[in-house]
Amino acid sequence: MSRVNFERFFKTEKQREFNTDFFTAAENYEVWDEIDFCNLEEVDGERTFEIKAEDMKAYAQGCLDDNPLMIDEEYAKKSPYGGLVPHPLFVTQIIFFCVGVKGRGNWIRTPGARNPGQEMELYENFRVGEIIHIKLRPYDRYIKRGKYYLKYKIDLFNQDNIKKATCISTLILPPTREDMRKFLKGQRGLTD
Amino acid sequence: MPKLTFASVQVGEELPPFTRTVNQEIFWKYAVASFDYNPVHNDPEWVKTAQPFKVPYTVAHGMMTMSFMTSVVTNWAYPHGLKITRITSKFTRPVAPGWTVKCSGVVSEKHVICKGKNYVVIDLKAENQNGELLAVEQVEVLFPG
Repeated sequence: MSRVNFERFFKTEKQREFNTDFFTAAENYEVWDEIDFCNLEEVDGERTFEIKAEDMKAYAQGCLDDNPLMIDEEYAKKSPYGGLVPHPLFVTQIIFFCVGVKGRGNWIRTPGARNPGQEMELYENFRVGEIIHIKLRPYDRYIKRGKYYLKYKIDLFNQDNIKKATCISTLILPPTREDMRKFLKGQRGLTD
Repeated sequence: MPKLTFASVQVGEELPPFTRTVNQEIFWKYAVASFDYNPVHNDPEWVKTAQPFKVPYTVAHGMMTMSFMTSVVTNWAYPHGLKITRITSKFTRPVAPGWTVKCSGVVSEKHVICKGKNYVVIDLKAENQNGELLAVEQVEVLFPG
């Protein structure tokens, strides 16, 4: 469905392998009214994320931040941090990469979703060389002013199972699968 | 640059702003950087009819606006070895291509706990070129040493 050629922007290995089309697997996505909130079991993300310097730098550059601690490895090496420091929102890149298309949390890719705001706790800076895995579970679901909110708790751990961050990911979603399908066809699947 | 210490920070202190003008090319670059390829940010044709935000044009990723606001804090805190521990944001208006996003922050709280655990709270806001509010955020910054 995507009509955009993103390849001209690719700088990292992960960017070259990631599927940029959020439509093709949309029938796999969890939908607001189908999620079983009686089952709050924590599940693993679909993939792990091995942090490379190019990943951290790509995020900082993508959000137009030219802080040398985030993009200049030599400069960062001489700083008190001893190496690149990620932009705090680098966690976004990790989550989208790890969630994937088959399992829980893939609703973050839903066409028609809207972002009302986010919460995150950062326990330790991510470091180059760490291999991050995520664990997700349903956190809250509610209706407010005619909008359908969904929240998942996502914990991020490194290869030693040290918790690096926790995010409460929140979106306003099309409430039903039929509503989502309208968006897939380019129609507005919302009534608010 | 004078060393920033917990003692030197005052409630009400303003942080240097972070300002960026955005366009579709920047939305695409951010999509690649974040792996968020949602069409509401990336596909000007699709959004003409789908209009999740009731506007017929693409809008910036909320996470990009949140990143801009957070950069106000990283530019202030990172050179001094400080640590960002919590971020909470709320988006109030979608950001259109061509807009200038100006982010500003002020120290709103100073939490005097003990050495190594003291922290401050920064209140941030993002506004467009007309002064319309786009987003608000709170960031907690720990003074580790």
